[in-house]
Amino acid sequence: MGVGFVVGLFGVLILAHAAYSTIQYRSLLKIMQEEFSGPPFHVAIELILGLVLSMWAALTVPGKFHSINPEAEENRIVSLPANQDFMVFNHRGRLFPKQTDLKLKR
Amino acid sequence: MVSIAEEAELNRLETQVDNGGGGAWEYLCLVRKLKVRRSHKVLNYGLSILNDSRKRSGLGQEEWTLYEQVTIAALDCQAIDVAKDCIKVLQKKFPQSKRVGRLEAMLLEAKGLWAEAEKAYASLLEENPCDQIVHKRRVALAKAQGNIAGAIEWLNKYLETFMADHDAWRELAELYISLQMYKQAVFCYEELILSQPTVPLFHLAYADVLYTLGGLENLQTAKKYYASTIDLTGGKNTKALFGICLCTSAISQLTRGRSKEDKEGPELQSLAATALEKDYKQRAPQKLSLLSSVLKGLKVSP
Repeated sequence: MGVGFVVGLFGVLILAHAAYSTIQYRSLLKIMQEEFSGPPFHVAIELILGLVLSMWAALTVPGKFHSINPEAEENRIVSLPANQDFMVFNHRGRLFPKQTDLKLKR
Repeated sequence: MVSIAEEAELNRLETQVDNGGGGAWEYLCLVRKLKVRRSHKVLNYGLSILNDSRKRSGLGQEEWTLYEQVTIAALDCQAIDVAKDCIKVLQKKFPQSKRVGRLEAMLLEAKGLWAEAEKAYASLLEENPCDQIVHKRRVALAKAQGNIAGAIEWLNKYLETFMADHDAWRELAELYISLQMYKQAVFCYEELILSQPTVPLFHLAYADVLYTLGGLENLQTAKKYYASTIDLTGGKNTKALFGICLCTSAISQLTRGRSKEDKEGPELQSLAATALEKDYKQRAPQKLSLLSSVLKGLKVSP
């Protein structure tokens, strides 16, 4: 978790820094009285880097993915549940000696 | 459906509880969730929780579910007294409850009083004609008396109303198989595959029944369904691999004299045979010679 978490934190920090730089850039433009046409180049780079880092962290930190394929090893169905709604009580277990010590106390 | 991970978890908890390691409540919950039949253990461990008043009150509302689970387990183990006591407790808590009424009828069933049980179920159905479980208990009642044909009749009537109940379809298929009425069983398995297409065990059972029926067309369909079982299990199902080999050899025997226009390529059975040999080499090397002689007898060589 350690590495992924640090990387994710770094990614979020980069995104925050990109936001901060954009605000600064816009106030600079206001002073210079120019129109805003798009973010500067370094902010775009920061955005992409932040996106990649935080996405990677979000995919690795929470844990491993489970497979959704029915043929995957951990999803393989090995037995069906006993059909308990149709359970029948007169089976051979009836002939075995009962446990007499079992008792519900109150 | 019990997947391999859930089965491993169940076995782990079972050994842990058996050796006195605690976790009995988790085990009972898992047994209930997976719907496996471990009546003896449920009875022992459930009773030990119920008899311990501190543990029992810790369960809160779940306590009553546990009472019901233990009651059914006790009926299955023929511990009539325990079941009676549990039902008494439940009745005190929930007077007039249909669910408790059902347990009482099941108690009559376990005692072997068929006519009384039948009467109890009939009166329960009169109050609530849509109670699916009571309908199913009636089927089980006929089955318990050895009246398989009657059980099939009840079950068919039930399925006319509740067509989406796949457990009932499965039961009907098994009843038909026990009477060797394979054509009807085939229909039930088709219904099951339609409702749950990702369960390989239904594909396997369907193929088994078709193979039992015999005939060229059925054998070819059976082979396809064995193949789909292999597809769904990732080649881990030994029975399906054997099924492919058997179907191929039976088909080749049936089509021996005929023209070879519709003959399929030999890749499938040789692949199945190779997979079988690999599996045996890994898990049971001492039986490898047995396997190769069987495969030779079927004339499918890897």
